[in-house]
Amino acid sequence: MRTRIMGLFTLASMAWASLLVPAMGQSSGPEFAAPQRLKAGDAYLGARRLYPSPVIQDVDGDGVGDVVIGDLMGKLTYANREIGDEGVTGFGRERPLKDRAGEGVKFHNW
Amino acid sequence: MGSQFVDFNGDGHTDVLAATFDGSPHIMYGSAEGYGKPEHVMDAAGKRVLISSFWNYEDRAHQETGRSLGMDNPPKERCISALAFDWDNDGDLDLLLGSYENGHLYRQMNEGTNEKPAFTGKNIPIMAGDTPFAIKEKMTAPRLVDWDGDGDQDIIAGSFGDTYRDGPGGGVFLSINTGKIGKPSFGNLQVLIPRSKKGQASPTRPDAGLYVDATDHDGDGDLDLIVGGYSMWTPPARKLTAKEEARLSTLRDELAAIQKSQREFFKVVNDEVTASTKGMDRKSDAARAKATEIRKKYAQKRRKISKQSSQLNDEINALVPKPQRKPFVWLYERQ
Repeated sequence: MRTRIMGLFTLASMAWASLLVPAMGQSSGPEFAAPQRLKAGDAYLGARRLYPSPVIQDVDGDGVGDVVIGDLMGKLTYANREIGDEGVTGFGRERPLKDRAGEGVKFHNW
Repeated sequence: MGSQFVDFNGDGHTDVLAATFDGSPHIMYGSAEGYGKPEHVMDAAGKRVLISSFWNYEDRAHQETGRSLGMDNPPKERCISALAFDWDNDGDLDLLLGSYENGHLYRQMNEGTNEKPAFTGKNIPIMAGDTPFAIKEKMTAPRLVDWDGDGDQDIIAGSFGDTYRDGPGGGVFLSINTGKIGKPSFGNLQVLIPRSKKGQASPTRPDAGLYVDATDHDGDGDLDLIVGGYSMWTPPARKLTAKEEARLSTLRDELAAIQKSQREFFKVVNDEVTASTKGMDRKSDAARAKATEIRKKYAQKRRKISKQSSQLNDEINALVPKPQRKPFVWLYERQ
């Protein structure tokens, strides 16, 4: 976990927050850094997809989780997590997940 | 469509379980040669697993049935997410079924084995604390993950929120499993990502339709969130020059004319479809084929009008930014 120096302001905020009763609709869980858009190659991951739904799965069997993206239309694509000299980096370009017939996977929708 | 990679039939190969807006889970079996074609997950009686609302492929209609909820008049709830999970730790995978409407979560037990499953066809509501698990602003898909590192499976799930307009957007929620292996008990929903209030001038987060998974993305030993969804924002407007104002006025007139011709064009096409399929069952293959044939005849003209409209809109939007709605996948790195 990244080391974090808490100033007086943060401590004061925590003390005040502890008086609040956690309930659905309030943020009561862990803190996250400002969200960052992920890329697959040069493109944004999930761009131009209808309701992109990411799932982490080791598709290529290298022991590192890749990302699989489902969508409203029932299609699945994936982007491999790239491993460079300095370890795991970003994702490669997004490509269709194929079945054994070599066709892009497509779940039935209505 | 959320998906789960799991060895559903226990043959040593990873399969893919997913539920779509047809209201039922599908399974795509893996093998040494790769994946086969997806098929519906069936219950012990040979019927589609579902909650209540479903698309009937034979009747080509959305329908409801209370057979899995034990009700004559069930609430309209469409199963759009499914997870395989050995709820009772008896060695076979049971099903968790998530609904779009009301964001309810049910379990359907497997009284068979993984090799020969026998799903009961009866859904049992899953509780979150003392009340049924519910994400009222519509649930995308739940995921099972050991969020608190105590060895059992907790639930994280996203919500849709208002996916097109200015209403509150989606968020991500957590329900901690305080039970035991084989006897899970899920707690009240907690907020991991607050519902979006929208109103930003640039894409800063997923605002609606939040699909979530958890992984240690940065390898620092804790779980981060990977979240797909739509960002909705409106770029700031700028003061236009007199020349730009004049150009904008011209563009708007041209767009209005194009839109008028577009409406007239669609009326012509639709009238021809109506006349050509008169007396036919509109849902029949023959009627659909006739309609497709007619629409194909006009496809080139439709594309031309659409392209003109698109070009005008692009130029107008460059002068007066309009609200944007685009899908991305985001990393929420845990601090």
